[in-house]
Amino acid sequence: MDLVRHLRYFIAVAEELHFGNAAIRLGMAQPPLSQRVKRLEEELGVRLFDRSARQVRLTETGRLLLGEAREIVSRVERLHELARQGEGAVLKVGVPPDLAATVLAALVAGFRETSPDVRLAPAEIWTADQVTALAEGTIDVGLVRHPVNAPGLRFGQLLVQAQGVLLAAADPLADVGEVHLADLAGRELLMPPKEGEPGWHAEVLAECRRQGFVPQQVHEGAGLGLVLAGAAVAFGPKVELPGLAWRPLLGSPIASRVSTAWRAVTVAATDFSAMAVRTLKESAGMTDEGAATARRVSRRPGMLA
Amino acid sequence: MSAPDFESLFRTAGVTGWLHAADIDTGREIGIGSDDPLPMASMFKVPLLVALCRQADAGLLDPAERITVTGAGRSPGPTGISAMLDEVTISLRDLAYLMIAVSDNTSADTLLARIGQDTINAMLDSFGLDGTRVVQGAGESVDSLGRDTGHGWPFVDPDDIERLSALDPARSNRSTPREMTRLFGLIWRDEAASAASCAWMRGVLNAQVWPHRLASGFPYDDVAVSGKTGTLPTLRCESGVVDYPDGGRYAVSVFTRSFSTALNQPRADAVIGTSARMAVDHLRR
Repeated sequence: MDLVRHLRYFIAVAEELHFGNAAIRLGMAQPPLSQRVKRLEEELGVRLFDRSARQVRLTETGRLLLGEAREIVSRVERLHELARQGEGAVLKVGVPPDLAATVLAALVAGFRETSPDVRLAPAEIWTADQVTALAEGTIDVGLVRHPVNAPGLRFGQLLVQAQGVLLAAADPLADVGEVHLADLAGRELLMPPKEGEPGWHAEVLAECRRQGFVPQQVHEGAGLGLVLAGAAVAFGPKVELPGLAWRPLLGSPIASRVSTAWRAVTVAATDFSAMAVRTLKESAGMTDEGAATARRVSRRPGMLA
Repeated sequence: MSAPDFESLFRTAGVTGWLHAADIDTGREIGIGSDDPLPMASMFKVPLLVALCRQADAGLLDPAERITVTGAGRSPGPTGISAMLDEVTISLRDLAYLMIAVSDNTSADTLLARIGQDTINAMLDSFGLDGTRVVQGAGESVDSLGRDTGHGWPFVDPDDIERLSALDPARSNRSTPREMTRLFGLIWRDEAASAASCAWMRGVLNAQVWPHRLASGFPYDDVAVSGKTGTLPTLRCESGVVDYPDGGRYAVSVFTRSFSTALNQPRADAVIGTSARMAVDHLRR
């Protein structure tokens, strides 16, 4: 087991005395956190927390070990810091887990070119968790989806990417050149997790509903297995994957808006931000946010008849 | 990109089909039997509408002029003034609206009497649409059904259908799918009459009430469908324009003849929409 990491989990829970809050702070889900703390207890052969009451309490042993744990973790951090100083600075960047591998690769390569002295350490984190991570300094700069509600964050230039629909290759809709949202009626939808992308969730589902698509079920996840199986459709940029078909959406109703985000202004964060705008335009087909065109709704004579 | 399989689509719906679709701005086109002469049934009301506008543009008539349509001697028909009983006083442009929106035969024939077939055909010649001819009014067309079969409504006997001159392009108002889309292209590009008249015609054609043919292929709030239907025993057609949210506009004309003589054939109506959607989708690829 990675003892140091497990000690970090232990410290977070000990400080919060609440598994949920500790999980948010760590940028992870609660069940794996509980599991790892339990594993640490098994490893040490002691109980660290008393979970019997309604609230979480440290046991006597837990209290005793907390100081030692902090000592170990801070020494390990110091070790890493020294090592980093030896090999150069690091910029910790959060990116959405569903960002295409090629785009992430282009970001890493682009940053290597513009800032050769700084190493890029990307972590896959959804927008809401990036906001937390930025607040806690776990990451230096993020790549977030808008709308995002986070006072105190600064954002880079907003970029837009029209989304198409991903279907199983055998879906009858794969035969047409472009698909209208209303054509998707009766299908289930795969979206990124609602907790991780609340703004995107709300925006997309509202637009779907306006245009005649109320998904029977909204699945949450980043893997496209359900789409491949023909059990759901998903929105996204154009991709070519075996077994899947990508089609543009008629009228471009769904557009993803992303930007970099940071709290503390640093040279590395600013450089990354500028490089990201260029790279996302070149390799992810994103464009400057233009004036949104008002959606025209045609008036058919039967409507008020 | 291979062309869509219109033939099997039409066959599945129980009809023979003819189609022409064109991007109004680029001229890109696709079709099947696009140049075959076909009876145009009530779609003859479109060249009549254009001729009315050109006469108004030339100052030869006032579209707001009111005329009285008496209760007697009306052209038969299921809608509009044809279906009403009493005398009506109405402007020329409102007659035109009724003629397009609900395909009112009496409105059409009242305007046709005012404009004259020769004026319409001369106009069609000037557009280069010499495959399109108006040789009779709506009332004459309906009357010919009884004359050709020797009996009144309904006309569902296959032998009767064979005898109908209204279905013979040589003896009735006729056009081709390509000429119909060209006519709609002229209206949408402000070339058929003055820009103001063309804008008014587009509004009237957009107010057509029937949702079961061309419009049924585009069941989307942000797509506008305008057009004019035509219907006779076994003949179902519609020509019009589909406006896409990104500004793309496509003139489409679909004619069908059903294998069955039954009057109610929702699949035959709907295939006009699905084939049009297929054609527009192809033009946009």
